[in-house]
This record gives sequence, C-alpha cells and structure tokens, in this order.
Amino acid sequence: MGNTETPMLELVDVHKSFGDVDVLKGISASISKGELLTFVGPSGCGKTTLLRIIGGFTPITSGKIILDGEDIADLPPNMRDTKMVFQSYALFPHMNVRKNIGFGLKLKKMPQKKIDDRVDELLALVHLEGLGDRTIERISGGQQQRVALARSLALEPKVLLLDEPLSNLDANLRVVMRDEIRNIQERIRITTIFVTHDQYEAMSISDRLLVLNDGIIQQIGSPSDIYETPDNRFIAEFVGYVNFLEGKIESFDQDSSGLFLVSTEYGDISLNKINEKNFDKGDDVFLVIRPETVTLFPSDAEDMPNMLKGKIQHSMYAGNLVKYTIKCGDREILIDQYNPKDSIKFRCGDNIKFTVPRTVHAIPKRG
Amino acid sequence: MAEAVAGNDQRSLLYKIRIFVNSHLINMFAGGLFALLAIFLAFPIVMVFIKSLWGDDGFTLGFYQEFFSYNFYYWSFLNTMILGLSAMVILVVVGFCFAYMTTKGPNWLRKPLKVCALMPLCAPPYIFSISLITLFGRNGMVTNFFDLNFNIYSWTGVIVAQCLAFLPLSYMMIENVLNSQNPSLEESASDMGASEFTIMRAITIPLAAPGVLKAALLVFVMTIAEFGNPAILGGRIPFLAPDTYLMITGEGDFNMASVLSVVLMVPCLIIFVIHNYMLKGKGYTTIVGKPTAVDPKDMTPLIKYSLLAIVIPVAIMVLLSFAVIVMGAFVKIVGVDNTFVIDHMLNMQSNTAIFNSVKLSLLAGLFGAIVGTLLAYVIMRGKFKGRKVMEMMALSGFALPGTVIGVGYIMAFNRPPFLLAGTIWILILNCAFRFLAVGVEAGISKLHQISIEIEEASADLGADFITIFFKVILPIMFSAFIAGFIYTFMTTMMSLSSVIFLVTPGFDLAAVYIYLTAQLGELGLASAATVKMMLIVVICFASLKLLAKKTGLDVIEK
Repeated sequence: MGNTETPMLELVDVHKSFGDVDVLKGISASISKGELLTFVGPSGCGKTTLLRIIGGFTPITSGKIILDGEDIADLPPNMRDTKMVFQSYALFPHMNVRKNIGFGLKLKKMPQKKIDDRVDELLALVHLEGLGDRTIERISGGQQQRVALARSLALEPKVLLLDEPLSNLDANLRVVMRDEIRNIQERIRITTIFVTHDQYEAMSISDRLLVLNDGIIQQIGSPSDIYETPDNRFIAEFVGYVNFLEGKIESFDQDSSGLFLVSTEYGDISLNKINEKNFDKGDDVFLVIRPETVTLFPSDAEDMPNMLKGKIQHSMYAGNLVKYTIKCGDREILIDQYNPKDSIKFRCGDNIKFTVPRTVHAIPKRG
Repeated sequence: MAEAVAGNDQRSLLYKIRIFVNSHLINMFAGGLFALLAIFLAFPIVMVFIKSLWGDDGFTLGFYQEFFSYNFYYWSFLNTMILGLSAMVILVVVGFCFAYMTTKGPNWLRKPLKVCALMPLCAPPYIFSISLITLFGRNGMVTNFFDLNFNIYSWTGVIVAQCLAFLPLSYMMIENVLNSQNPSLEESASDMGASEFTIMRAITIPLAAPGVLKAALLVFVMTIAEFGNPAILGGRIPFLAPDTYLMITGEGDFNMASVLSVVLMVPCLIIFVIHNYMLKGKGYTTIVGKPTAVDPKDMTPLIKYSLLAIVIPVAIMVLLSFAVIVMGAFVKIVGVDNTFVIDHMLNMQSNTAIFNSVKLSLLAGLFGAIVGTLLAYVIMRGKFKGRKVMEMMALSGFALPGTVIGVGYIMAFNRPPFLLAGTIWILILNCAFRFLAVGVEAGISKLHQISIEIEEASADLGADFITIFFKVILPIMFSAFIAGFIYTFMTTMMSLSSVIFLVTPGFDLAAVYIYLTAQLGELGLASAATVKMMLIVVICFASLKLLAKKTGLDVIEK
C-alpha cells in the first residue's frame, strides 16, 4: 500500500460502548481505493458493529470515520456514500428484481430511461439477465444475493460493505458466490469491506484481513502474513490448526550461517530469521508450527538439523493427506502428510523422527 | 490526514439541518404521535380526574364524599361489581364447557357449538336486550305463550344479556388455551389409569388456569364497562355506566359524572395492568416439537351430558336471540302480530342512522389505521425512551370504559383550544383512538416478521424516514393496516357507550338509534336497524377472515 495515496476510508481511534460494555476499544485502520479488506474474528468480536458503524446504522462513542477526506461519523446512513449488502439481503418483498435494483437510483430522481439502462447493465454484471421482472420470492437464494449486490452497486458507492453475505447460502454456492463477488469487485475496482467469521472465506477473498478480537485489532495484513507470520497466539490459532512449541532464544547474534537458535525441551531448533525486532537473547517464545510444514522420517533415518523424535499415536487417512498425531515427550503434535500415495506410511506405535523447517515463525510468549 | 478532513464546523447550516432532520425524523414523528395520544387519550382521562376533584370552589373531595354518603351512588358501584363478578363466574363456567366440547367433544357437535359461541360477535352487545324483551318482556313471545308473570327489566335480564353478549370473549380465550394443550399429556394420564374426570381435574383445568384467569379478568372489565344492556334492562337498578350517562343528560352534573367514571375506571385500569404486565407470558406452553393429531375419544357419558346440559340451553338462547331479531325486523310485532311488514327495514330515520354510522366508521377506521400503523412503527423501530409508555397509552383505549372516554371527551373538547364538540371530528377521534389497540398490535406483530435490515437497506440506499415508511414499510405492512381499518370500522359501527355522549341531536348513529328505539319499546325498528348493522359487521368479519387466510395476520383471535 503506497503511503502517498490518500486512503478511501480511514478509521481513527473508533470506540464503541453499549452501556458499560466496550465493544470496540480504539480501532484505527485505513483502506485504500479498490482494495478488499475483510473484518474477521470470532462471533462477538465487534466486526459487525464496526461495519454497521461505517454504514451509519450504529453511532460511535468516539473517534472519526473519514470517507474520502470527509468525517462522516455523524451522518445518517441515507447521507453516506457507503452501501451495504445485508446478511438477510433485505430485498423489498413487494418489488420485483428491477425495482429493487433501481430503488436507490429512483430516490436520486434519475430519469427512468437512465435507471433502466443502469439496471440492465447491473443485471448483466451479476449475471441475472432476463430475471428483472421476477418477484423476489421467485428467485433462488444465490440470485437474491446477486440482486442485493447489484442494488448496492447501482449507486456506485465509494465503499461497498458486505455483512456476512454468504452465510445464508449452502456450502457449494458459498464458494461460487465468493469467487463471483471477488471477480466483480476486481473488475470494477470498488473499495470493499467484507465481514465474515469464516477465516478460510476471509483468506480466499481478501487483499488484506483485519483480525478483530475483543474489540481490538489483533493484526492487519495480507492472507499470507496472517497465516504464516501471525503476530500472536490468538491469530495463529484463529487461522488453521497450529502446534505451539515453547522455547527460549539461545543465540541472537547473526552468526556466519545467518541462523538463530531456539532451545526447546525436545531439542534445539535453528531459525532463518525472527521477524520481531524486539526479541532479546533469553526471551521465551512460541514456535508456530503448522501441521503441513513438518516432514516425517522413519526412526532409523540419519540425524539432521531441527530433527525431533516422537511416536505415532494416531493416524487418520483422508485421501489427499494423512493426519498423524505424534506423541513428543508429554505433548501431542499434529502433522499433515500430503500425497500419502507416494509417502512412507506409518502405523500407530511406530517411532519416528520429524523435522521442523528453518522458516518456522516465532512469537513472543508474553501475552 | 486530519487537515485534509472537512471539519464539521465548515459545513453549511443547510447541510447541518439536513443531517439533523435525516437523523431524527422518526423521533419527530414519534413526538407528534405522542402528542396525539396525549391529547386524545390521556387528556380526556385527566379531565375526568380533575373534574371529580375540582368544583366551583377549587379542589375538593366533596364529590367523593357525596358518592359514599348516598346509597344511590355507592350501590351503583356495588351493583356494577356484582354484575361483573356474576357474569365472570357464569361465563368462565359456560365458556369452559363450550371450549371443552368444541375441542374434546364429539366431532359432529364441535362446529355447530363453535358457531353458536361465536355468533354474538357479529352483533353489538345490546341486541340481547332487544331479543330478551321480545322474548320475555311484558308482551314477549314466551311470556304470552306461557302466560308468565315475569319481569325481564331486572337483575336476571341484565346478567343474562351480558353473559350472552360476552360469551365469545370467554369462549375464544379458553378455547385457545385448551387447543394449545398437548394432547399427549392427557393420553399419558389416561395411560396411567386416570379417568376423564380425573384428567379434567388434575391436568386440563390446572394447565388452563392461567389462561382462564385472563379470560375471567377480561370478561369482568367488559361487562362492567358495557353501557347498553344495563341501561335498557336495568330498570331502576343503578349501574355505573348508565348512571354516568344519566348524570350528564339528566342532571348536567359533570362533577358527579366524573366521580362515577373514576370509580368505574379504577378497577378497569387495575385489571389492565395485571393483565398486561403481571400475567404477561404466564401460562403453560405444553407443546414441544410437533403437536400430534389425536383421534377424538369418546367422552365419559356423565361428563358429556352434564356439559351438554349447560351448553345446549345457552346455544339455543343465542340462536333464539338472533332469530327474534331477524324476525322482529320483518314482522309487525313479534309474537303479537306476526304479519310481514317491510316498513321497519325501510324506515328513513334508521337508514340515515346507518348511513351516518358507515360514514363515521369509514373515517374513524382510516384515521385509526394510519395512526395505528405509524404508532406500531415508531414503537418498534424508534430509538427513543418512553416507547413502552407510548405502547401502554395506545393499548389503554381498549381497557378504558367507553362511557369514561365519552365523558372525558365532552369535557375536554367543548372549549378552545380543542373545540370539537358538535362536529363529526369529535366522534371520529373518539372512535379512532379508543380502538387503536388492535391496529397497533397487528402492526407490531407484522413488524416482528419484517427484518429491520429491510429498513436499514432503504436508508442505506438513500431513503429518509418518510420515504421508507410510505414506499417500503406501508406496502409490507398493508395487511396490518387493513386489519386495523376493518376492526376500527366494525367496532365503531357497533359502539354505543362513548358516542352516545357525543352525538348531537339531528345526527343519528345506528347504535344510538337502536338504543333509543329499544328504550322506547320500538322493537321492530330496533331489530331492523340491528339486522342492517349485523350484515355490515358480518361482511367485515368475512373480510378479516379472508385477510387472515391470505396473509396469516389474525386479529380476531386476539
């Protein structure tokens, strides 16, 4: 994100309390033009509240919401240039598809001819050509979703807000609509905020993720930043399964090999780099070990750096991978071995060795 | 960044006003509606209170003292309570018997009994006075036939008329409770060896008790507030509602009329509060999961025949009452001279009265439906404090006796700034606000089904409150609007107790016309007008049923 560019939307220290309960505790973030940012977090984390604040449906307690250079925090929804796609779609049941899509345009007193043209254009954009005269009850859930999207896009808002838009669709359609939304968003380069509690959905659709928990931003970053280099334990656990290995930084000097050494109770692990600048020698850390990054070896394999020992406790065959539970000392480590057809198959009770890659990510133990 | 932001103080005044209006429009509407409720419901009631405490020499408790020192006054109160209690006890028993028979009785009897129990809904309560006089009056059909010496202008007459009039109320509420009981409870009791009598005593009645209590309270309020029957049949027995009327028309004593009104209103308000707040949500929900359909069982003969012994005579009374009204409309004098005449039906004065009533009802219905829908909307969607109070005010019109509101209206609106007395407006407003409850309730229950996201989406797309209301909410809530309209129309048609204070000579309303002709013993004219009124009411009911079928919004059940 270029710093020279003015952000399309900027949140400055946004606070929100409902009575005594602080739902948002100082949210600051910015989103650039054309970007798709996803608010993600467990239920009750405040993500929907934050989206509704941007849409104008919930007043803020303090802070600023700057849309394209103007503080819109005190504007009612009907005076904001943000448009929302609601979780329930909120289509008007007494109007047909065309009228729904043209509702906002009509309020703007656009001539009917122009409204018709624009609605046709939008129907084509969301692949609903020919369904304009249908009533809302007579189209499917996925089609309703497209109408809701088209209706919000009709007014060419500066920011499009999507509130868990896929939650009412069945599993297959979710994936189709997710790709479709992303596709349309990229085509028209509309600045978009997407809210979901589903981390996979979040990772697959977004340019960047804003992970919220307890009303605090845990991390903002690209999907790979969030998955591969999480800032803390919460983030690491929130996206995918993770094994934490407790350790202590033994050497911090950049020696000739360029490695750091972390000692754990099961053996020493050397790391390529530690992204946190504020680590010191002697700091306690957690190593974030994703199941798919570990490689398994038979017990008679030659010793290698970063190799630890364990015993297969349980295995579960899932076609594209085998999930092994490994007993290592007094703890269990989960390992995914992909492409089982071409790998050695281990049985329960087998003693094994496994290696942890040097690229493994470390997070401070504190907090 | 901050310097690039247009500060709020740099905005033009016009823009600031726009922001304010857009953000607070719903609250402004709420304020307006609040003012309407305050003026047309609260103010008249407050006037009644003030007038009962304020004489020519300022504040005084003298009127209350007077009330308690003359037995004519306090007997009026005691009689009213006795009437309410008797009707309550009788109707709980009779209503339960009807409800038991139509939910658990023999299949072939259910429908006809249900029809009999609900029939009185199609007519104003006071028609039973007319039919009782036709049947048992000094020159009545039955009296003459058996050569009885029987006085219908008595306690018996009033109680019987009241019980027949409010049978549907008690029946519907108890039937509703029995219907919602899980049949498998009774089956399992029976499985464990309980007899039908034991089941009734140990399962059915205890489970129904909270619902029956609610029914009993409502019956009490309705019967003590009813004006027509005690006024027509009460003879020399004092009752609060008719006495209030006499106090004003006869003696012009507004202070004493107010005292009587307060005395009548207090039990009604207490019960309204108990009913709405203390009993709310009380009751047993016994159906978990899918209710199972059960085959009707044969009733134990002893229970069956004892219930039938109560139910059949009442059903016959209901049918007979309607029959003599219809007959009365088309013959010279029922039971005395049974020659067919059409004069009663064609009577000009009666037709004018019906026409006036229809006109009034249309206007009151329209006004009431608009205010009711708006109220439901701001109560449900507004974010201001005092929504509960607003809802309570809107619903209280239902609980307040018509005579009390009538007295309040003449005192409140006979001088500036609200000089409405003598105009049709005082009647329209009176009826619209008294019967607001149903429209508001229907609106609220409809709004429960509409996701708030619909309105948020409209606002999001640029609509302000008025646009949202008229373009989105009203079309979706249209069924509630229509329900409120028809209900207000129907009840205004039949309403007597309030409008009788407000009509001006020369402007006859059907209800008042029926009352006055019945008072004068012109039973043919009264019956004919009643038949016409019933036809209109039946059409309204049919429309409501149709609406319920089409949209699932059932206001009759409430």
